[in-house]
Amino acid sequence: MTPAFGDPDEVRRRLDEADYLTDDGLATAVHLALRLGLPLLLEGEPGVGKTSAAKALAEILGAPLVRLQCYEGLTVGEAVYEWNYQRQLLAIRLAEARGDRLADADLFTAEFLQERALLRCVRHRGPTPPVLLIDEIDRADDEFEALLLEFLGEGSVTVPELGTFTAARPPVVVLTSNRSRDLHDALRRRCLYHWIEFPRPDRAAAILRRRVPGASRALIAAATEFVGEARRLDLDKVPGMAETINWVAALGVLGVAELVPEAIERTLGALAKTPDDRELMLGSLGGPQRC
Amino acid sequence: MLTPGPMLLRGVDRAAFATAFARRLRTAGLPVPPTAVQAFTAALDAAPVRTTAQLYWVSRTTLVRRHPEIETFDAVFAAVFGAGQDGEAPGRRRQTPSGRAGPDGAWTSVPARATAGEQAGGGLPWITRPTPTAGDDEPGTGHPVPDPLPSALEALADTGFPELDEEQLAMVGAWIEAALPRWPVRPGRRRRAHPAGRRAALRATLAAARRTGWEPVRLVRTRPTTRHRRVLVLCDVSRSMQPTTTAYLHLMRAAALRTPTEVFAFGTRLTRLTAVLAHRSAPRAVQLATDAVEDRFGGTRIATTIESLLRSRHGSALRAATVVIASDGWDTDPPERLERAMRRLRRRAHAVLWVNPRAAAPGYAPTAGGMAAALPHCDALLPGHSLRALLAVVDAITLAG
Repeated sequence: MTPAFGDPDEVRRRLDEADYLTDDGLATAVHLALRLGLPLLLEGEPGVGKTSAAKALAEILGAPLVRLQCYEGLTVGEAVYEWNYQRQLLAIRLAEARGDRLADADLFTAEFLQERALLRCVRHRGPTPPVLLIDEIDRADDEFEALLLEFLGEGSVTVPELGTFTAARPPVVVLTSNRSRDLHDALRRRCLYHWIEFPRPDRAAAILRRRVPGASRALIAAATEFVGEARRLDLDKVPGMAETINWVAALGVLGVAELVPEAIERTLGALAKTPDDRELMLGSLGGPQRC
Repeated sequence: MLTPGPMLLRGVDRAAFATAFARRLRTAGLPVPPTAVQAFTAALDAAPVRTTAQLYWVSRTTLVRRHPEIETFDAVFAAVFGAGQDGEAPGRRRQTPSGRAGPDGAWTSVPARATAGEQAGGGLPWITRPTPTAGDDEPGTGHPVPDPLPSALEALADTGFPELDEEQLAMVGAWIEAALPRWPVRPGRRRRAHPAGRRAALRATLAAARRTGWEPVRLVRTRPTTRHRRVLVLCDVSRSMQPTTTAYLHLMRAAALRTPTEVFAFGTRLTRLTAVLAHRSAPRAVQLATDAVEDRFGGTRIATTIESLLRSRHGSALRAATVVIASDGWDTDPPERLERAMRRLRRRAHAVLWVNPRAAAPGYAPTAGGMAAALPHCDALLPGHSLRALLAVVDAITLAG
């Protein structure tokens, strides 16, 4: 059974203890996912903390985190299981040398099975079920989505030669997506869904205080305001929370106490990820004017 | 200076000379890596330079790495070393129309051909981005042969869309839908079994070995599959485009039904049509799409539209996609804004094609502010005013694949 939390508030408190500050929406979504045993599909702008949500969840549950990074062409062999073909071939040679007769059942046994992320989660033997993070599912293709359906729906995985494995304790599944592609309804249907908003300025400041303990309050307030302004500009890549954390950390490493234009210019690489964005931010947000 | 015999650059510090010249090229927008400068310096040593022409080739061979850069390089070379005997930089074959050389020089002119209109886009006398492959000069190489048109349509093939009635347009729509197997593909990451494949598929090999007493007699090979390349169509639905819009909607519906095509309509703002166009009945889908657009008569704001597309979540769908913009280029936004938006769009997309029904008119020149600003960032400008021209658009989309 899943370690239950009493209510969303408790989830939020526990996530807070794990240095992941969140709002009621996400806390509720996580709570429901745990209680209902449903996969949780998290969407949101890049850098808003989708992946770290799963990590924090694994931490508060005291569960191992299994991460599956998605990409086009992801197959059963990489995501679910694979047979150890080399060992199978060796076993065939060995049987030949001994003059044994080989049957299917001799070659397709657990001994030759190589677990990948999904099967590992299903066959997990431990006190707590693992947290499976299926990251950036929108980068995978339709075929992979179809592959996931059995697992997401029933918490089971079928290996044709061996049969169906069903998890004794269903893993906690978190899927993330950047919406670069529309996911199939069949997949959405099996999941709880939560859209993570970019945090409001006060929460963003609180997150920064937690993640970059060394930075002063004044610096964090100034940085939050700067990022807030920058997010209103017409940028190629709008800075997310992850970039903001990196930026404040960069300012901290350089020992910057006050957000002066020179300091912004030196560290902007943590925030602006294209030359155009850099120019735009410097030009319109009080950085030193460049020729 | 040009007298043969005495060495050019005698007594010149070659390293300093190479660095200075590379710097001039960089100022003109040419990416010249330090290794190229090193190669240039070494080349000056290795190949004694006696004439400007020799210097031209030595420097071009070592400093230029891409075909589109040659135009800029020629201009800089001519400015620094003066013109050759014939008044042109040596090796220079293309004409730069006045006032068109952009700051980054990333495009060349496409010379007018006598057979203008024969090859999709390539024959038009104005400047777009150069064709990526150098050996693509002869028209017709690798060009998909268009399917022969049914005779009922043959007569309509060259008629402009504005002159067709509803019924004829529907016929065109139905035919387009049936004739669309050609659509751009890209290499996919999945693999399928193929005798000529280069990678062994162990799973399939072992499965096959079952039938031969576990002796892997037949090695199963795989090769990568291809997938449809995503195509994004932005269709101008302002009043000036009205006669052609319906035909384009038919084409876009046919594409959206079976390929990962995203369709947007725009006037003053962007409307996504992909979902409504998927309706089973073509006339109904086109009707739904027409209803979905609310800004039909509000003018055209192309730059704003492209900016909002780049900002939206479909912005990442642009990556590695072929983008088709169907518009007459009349833009109420300032051309500089469109230029910037198009530059960003081009950087993200695989190819950008502009379909302009006005381009078919005799004597047309892309001088409308927006069109002139956008053109350097397009891979081709196509007329697309009639069925035949629309087929050329489909071919161009496939070729860009």
